[in-house]
Amino acid sequence: MPLLEGLRLALSQIWAHKLKSFFSLVGVIIGITFLIAVITIVEGMNRYVREDFAGSIFGINTFTVVRRPSIQTGRTTEEQRRRYARNPRLTLHDVDVVRRSAPPGVTVTWDSDRGFDQVRYGERERKNIRVVGASEGYATVQGWEVARGRGLSPLDERRGLKVAVIGPDIAQRLFPAESPLGKEIRVGPYRFQVVGVFEKRGGLLGGIWDAAILLPFSAYDETLSRDPGKLDEISVKAPTEKAMNDAMSAVEGGLRADRRLRPARDNNFQLQTSSGLLSAWNKINNVLLTVLPGLVSIALVVGGIVIMNIMLVSVSQRTREIGLRKAVGARQSDVLVQFLAESSVLSLVGAGLGVGIGVGLARIVHALTPLPASTPLWSLGLAVALGVVVGLVSGVYPASRAARLDPIVALHAE
Amino acid sequence: MDATRDLVIMTRGLTKDYQMGSETVHALRGVDLEIRRNEYIAVMGPSGSGKSTLMNLIGCLDTPSGGEYVLNGQAVQDLDDDELARIRNREIGFVFQTFNLLPRASSLHNVELPLIYGGVGSAERRERAEEALRMVDLGDRMEHKPNELSGGQRQRVAIARALVNRPSILLADEPTGNLDSATSAEIMAVFEHLHKNSGQTIIMVTHEYDIAAHAERVITLRDGQIESLDADITVPHAVAQ
Ligand SMILES: Nc1ncnc2c1ncn2[C@@H]1O[C@H](COP(=O)(O)OP(=O)(O)O)[C@@H](O)[C@H]1O
Ligand SMILES: [Mg+2]
Repeated sequence: MPLLEGLRLALSQIWAHKLKSFFSLVGVIIGITFLIAVITIVEGMNRYVREDFAGSIFGINTFTVVRRPSIQTGRTTEEQRRRYARNPRLTLHDVDVVRRSAPPGVTVTWDSDRGFDQVRYGERERKNIRVVGASEGYATVQGWEVARGRGLSPLDERRGLKVAVIGPDIAQRLFPAESPLGKEIRVGPYRFQVVGVFEKRGGLLGGIWDAAILLPFSAYDETLSRDPGKLDEISVKAPTEKAMNDAMSAVEGGLRADRRLRPARDNNFQLQTSSGLLSAWNKINNVLLTVLPGLVSIALVVGGIVIMNIMLVSVSQRTREIGLRKAVGARQSDVLVQFLAESSVLSLVGAGLGVGIGVGLARIVHALTPLPASTPLWSLGLAVALGVVVGLVSGVYPASRAARLDPIVALHAE
Repeated sequence: MDATRDLVIMTRGLTKDYQMGSETVHALRGVDLEIRRNEYIAVMGPSGSGKSTLMNLIGCLDTPSGGEYVLNGQAVQDLDDDELARIRNREIGFVFQTFNLLPRASSLHNVELPLIYGGVGSAERRERAEEALRMVDLGDRMEHKPNELSGGQRQRVAIARALVNRPSILLADEPTGNLDSATSAEIMAVFEHLHKNSGQTIIMVTHEYDIAAHAERVITLRDGQIESLDADITVPHAVAQ
């Protein structure tokens, strides 16, 4: 039988038993859905980490000193967590220590984050903004570009000026029709003069910073800080990776000496690099990609067995039809092709539904969370190939049984 | 000389045994048969005498246990599965007692079926299927499904299917067995027409004398053997005994 005829027949057969076909495909659908959804999210994450995260948010060749890790890699034990909690909070004194111990040529900045708050200008208001107090140079190290006005200057810091550089989302919300430069905004009871607006960043974490307000650390410390005198992190940016590594050991030594830690004691601070975060992501990524084939295979094997059973039932229900086809001239290979086409098309329909649902799920995740989603073309090809293979493999036994039926016996079957 | 050239079917010592557990059923015990082109033959005989078995062998649906079968000059008993399928497709038109139509397919598609396996392209397929349906007077029932047709119409669809590939023989195993007498007459009229106007060779199994009476020659079987190659059925008890 020509393949085309087989495919046509297969489609009409599947359509005639829509519900049964659908339920027989649950295994394949789940397998492919999972495959596509995971690949989509992993690929999206990878792209994000490569293009967005590693470079700009965290800064290239930058490390930070923090009290406890901001992103945990692996599992944190209860004991570790208690130890982090005992670590002293960072202060401006630590900034001095870092500055003194770091080799020349690096840039040291620091910041403290008040968390979410709201900002007003006249009647207008923007909620859920981030208020950050930072040293001069912080924005540059973070890779934030100023679009209008200016960034923070050493003078702002020294004089304790109540000035602010605001994110583009805030500028748009509070100053839809006028220039924000020179205007006074209010956070809580405090007023700050807008001196600049940052470039829009977008993306996963960038979105948060688009609605942030950056204040000189001194002004922040005496107004909005929840914990005056304390800061969240000290960032050190080096010109090269090697310089960064050198600076890290120097800073580590300097802080340990300043805190009088004996050699046997662990650091009571943490050094973080973006490569540490990258390796954390790579770990998660590896786990996902290791379990993925296993889980997908299980679902597909189960799906294949279900399809095989459905096909066996179909062959036995259609024994007379097979007998008739043989009586009018169908060869064994014709019957084989017919049933293989049916199982393959069936499985392919399942794979198609799986792709649709998988992409849909990834889209939903993308819409509801900041997780990016990107479905690579090869994963669609993989889904189609897997669909065909599962269909062919699970169809071989039922189809060859159908093909080998004796025409007379088949014709007289009930 | 002329006689052998016109021979469509020739069997010599044809036997068929079925194994039923430890017992062997001798369904055919050496059948010698010659059938010429454009003959119209009825096969009669008591139930279990081997009529269907003989039809299945002639129709290449089954292979003999012994003996020879020559169809259109070709020895069939040694052919493999694919070659038999090809002969069923090209040389044989089979009409069954129970019609055996695909229930979800239209008349047209049912009739097209042998052409699909014959490798005929879809445009020609449709044309020839329509022509075959018109020949059995179903030109206005092409798109009907079997359950939208009467018994007689269904059997006519089956006849159109049997004829669509222009086979050298039309085999019918009790074609009117499931039909009332009025509808049976309708089917007999079709056979009559095919025999007279298209020169079709027809072999038909029946146990009804008035049906058999339409044929030119009546062959009777008994216990797997030929009882008569040209029975006189105007004296019914001669066969019934
Ligand atoms: N597939 C089979 N297996 C075993 N015995 C069979 C089979 N087909 C037919 N027979 C036996 O062969 C004999 C002839 O059967 P059949 O050709 O169907 O007779 P008829 O058509 O004349 O009624 C019967 O005894 C029947 O029981
Ligand atoms: Mg019979």
